[in-house]
Amino acid sequence: MATTATVTLTSDISSGFGGITKTMTLTKAGTNNDITETTGFSRRKLAAATAVDLITMANELVEPSDNTAAKVYIKNIGNNGVIDKSSYVKILIGATGGTTQEIGRLYGGDWLMMPVTVVDDMDIVAHPETDNAVVLEYTLFFEEA
Amino acid sequence: MATTTAAVTLTSDLLSDNISVTTDTTCMKGGTTADGLDQMDMGYIEIATGDQYDLFDADNALNKNKANKVYISNDSTDETYYVTITIDATVVGRLYAGDWMFIPWGAEDATADIEIEAINGTNKVSYAYFHEGRTLIAS
Repeated sequence: MATTATVTLTSDISSGFGGITKTMTLTKAGTNNDITETTGFSRRKLAAATAVDLITMANELVEPSDNTAAKVYIKNIGNNGVIDKSSYVKILIGATGGTTQEIGRLYGGDWLMMPVTVVDDMDIVAHPETDNAVVLEYTLFFEEA
Repeated sequence: MATTTAAVTLTSDLLSDNISVTTDTTCMKGGTTADGLDQMDMGYIEIATGDQYDLFDADNALNKNKANKVYISNDSTDETYYVTITIDATVVGRLYAGDWMFIPWGAEDATADIEIEAINGTNKVSYAYFHEGRTLIAS
């Protein structure tokens, strides 16, 4: 029951940069045992420039184990096949309406993969730049508490 | 135009219908559709336990609220080793030995540094940072 993720980075910015390729197998914290839980693959259309929870940690049907080796993947896929590279959705961590910390701006077509604590109120928050419709695809991998 | 691409392949058999995602993106400057990120930093460091360090300093007007991209890899081999990744005072998560992350970084204010702390032993970390510029410090 393995989950793997391979990143490949290429760039011609520097002539000395030969690229990066790395594969990770998602495991439980501090072990070589495969991670066992996922939210599954989801998509959500946003059409307002307001912050919303993409993933609310306290609402997961299977309670995640806090501060372990959870990972989240998110991609901005645009809308109806139109990807706007000049428009973004801010991705933040925290409580919508409360304190949040920005991670960064996910422009059209961009993706991210990062570790998350899955602590309650450390939700994954999305905040589109505009009211124009945009769709995010996402999935969370985690350990059961 | 400089061209930087980031691709990912994600597969999982946790569900009865396997997850299989392959995608890539070209990393553009913030708000543009024709101009790619054109500066980068990369490196490898060994981080001892005991303190939290700035891996990337956000005190840089050239990158504030831009489309910066950050790659961090924990190249340690002991599965119990990990680094905590923090932005400003918010813990983002733990990057265990063998794990990597790739994120956009807003660097929205001077305190939004990406900070790192090694746990359980000296961790080996590789990183790459694609951006629009850095404020150089006069000697």
